[in-house]
Amino acid sequence: MSTRHLVWSGVVMGWLWAAAPAGAHRLDEYLQATRIGVSQGRIDLEIDLTAGASIAEQIFAMVDANGDGQINDAEGDEYARRVIDAIRLSVDSRPLSVTLVSRAFPDRQAMGLGLGTIRLRASAPASAGTGRHALVYLNTHAAASSVYLVNALLPSDNRIQISAQERDVEQRGVTVDYRVAPSEGWVRGGWLLTAVAMLGVVLRRRGGHLQAAWQ
Amino acid sequence: MKILRTLSLALIIPVAALAMQRASAPVAPVGATPRVVTAANAFLASLDDAQRAAVSFAFNSPQRTGWSNLPGPMFQRKGLRLGDLMPPQRAAAMSLVSAALSREGYQKVLAIMDGDEVLKTNRGGRTGGRGGGVQFGRDEYYIALLGTPSATAPWLIQFGGHHLAINVTVVGSNNVLTPSLPAAQPARYTLNGQTIRPLGDENDKAFALINALDAAQQKQAILNYRISDLVLGPGADGKTIQPEGILASALTASQQTMLLDIAHEWVGILNDEAADAKMAELKANLPKTYLAWSGDTKNGGLAYYRIQGPTVVIEYAPQQGDLDHIHTIYRDPTNDYGAKHTGR
Repeated sequence: MSTRHLVWSGVVMGWLWAAAPAGAHRLDEYLQATRIGVSQGRIDLEIDLTAGASIAEQIFAMVDANGDGQINDAEGDEYARRVIDAIRLSVDSRPLSVTLVSRAFPDRQAMGLGLGTIRLRASAPASAGTGRHALVYLNTHAAASSVYLVNALLPSDNRIQISAQERDVEQRGVTVDYRVAPSEGWVRGGWLLTAVAMLGVVLRRRGGHLQAAWQ
Repeated sequence: MKILRTLSLALIIPVAALAMQRASAPVAPVGATPRVVTAANAFLASLDDAQRAAVSFAFNSPQRTGWSNLPGPMFQRKGLRLGDLMPPQRAAAMSLVSAALSREGYQKVLAIMDGDEVLKTNRGGRTGGRGGGVQFGRDEYYIALLGTPSATAPWLIQFGGHHLAINVTVVGSNNVLTPSLPAAQPARYTLNGQTIRPLGDENDKAFALINALDAAQQKQAILNYRISDLVLGPGADGKTIQPEGILASALTASQQTMLLDIAHEWVGILNDEAADAKMAELKANLPKTYLAWSGDTKNGGLAYYRIQGPTVVIEYAPQQGDLDHIHTIYRDPTNDYGAKHTGR
């Protein structure tokens, strides 16, 4: 830890001692809450990270690489990348490449009190055709001090139905079973083809009867 | 010709009936709206120009979603701070909150605020007004009005502070409480010789229900993982998670009644007229409503639960294993901030 970090730690710890009530908020846990959006061509991840007051400095130091007490763009990007790199995401056993979409960091004071939340948004292309699929998500970031929440969002596309979510007891990971129904156009096309085929059969039979009548 | 006449009659009769129904419908809003508007105007009249400007926001301003359970200054609230108001102004502000809520709902709000005062006094928290340390206590609650109080046009009352966010959207006769966040720390305290539990019924009724389920029902309701916080807390507007747990259609009639009674702890914070309408909606949607539970089933233990239906999400979440620190949230994925009535 650099001298700047030590100075900052002292300042923040002093501020916490003066300002924070005992037991008022999250203390020694790093809450990592993920919401998973499933759509036909993409998986979206909303990851909210809230560090408890007694470990906030440690987390802040992980992000604030130059120790100036501020999180600049490069430091924010680097920390977000570390979180994203610790995510394992796959659909039907095919690993997906997760890309950061946006990130927002709280100020040091809010984070120091265990109240500020780091918000990361990420997505991965996932071309899942019609039928059943299994999405597997696992978060391995900062496992020692973390508690987790992970939930699939209700799909906005009504062709996608989530049938089950299986988690480990700590919610570090989840398997989401879902089904993609054929599109309406496809269903309509299918009905049209069936109707044309049936019409063909009827006409052919009638044609046969007419032919017989003429003969 | 006969067919045409029959068709014409079939069209004309329902249209005429609809027109008559509309003509006879009351123009003035019914329900609690008139008294809420009156209370809001009385509050505004008690303020000076600068205060009126500070408390007023456009209905669509970012202030609408700018609420939190966090104390100041960690969350910078806008509007008017109760501690900055003169006693008659403060009384008018609380009269407005009281007019929008039920008697029980208003008592719950007061109990949450009293709890924060206890937190300030007993646990080393402090209040310093703006710019001080972490701010706890009855003075640290803020009120804001979004839009102009009206019996017809949409407007919103926002009241909150640490562990409390009340959003009441008024659109004509419709009053909507979602999203709102009643929470408590301490969850049990003594005031004037009385033991107060602001969310005690939310706890006790839920434990009674989970224990009224048979083993097979509990197996469906109880999730096999730990839930340590709200899933759809502040900042999660517009999100709907995949429901889990047991469907209310798999409950007996008495269990369903118990489930509705738990939901009423949140729904019934709002004035009786609007709460009754909301409860009727919840009852109609009961077959599509889930109860999910995580944690102990013995009252006194740690447990999280969620009630989720087409027009409701309620979460009850003890924080960090602390029974004395409870967060809850009440949402309607179809009607937060009165979206259904405002078309927004």
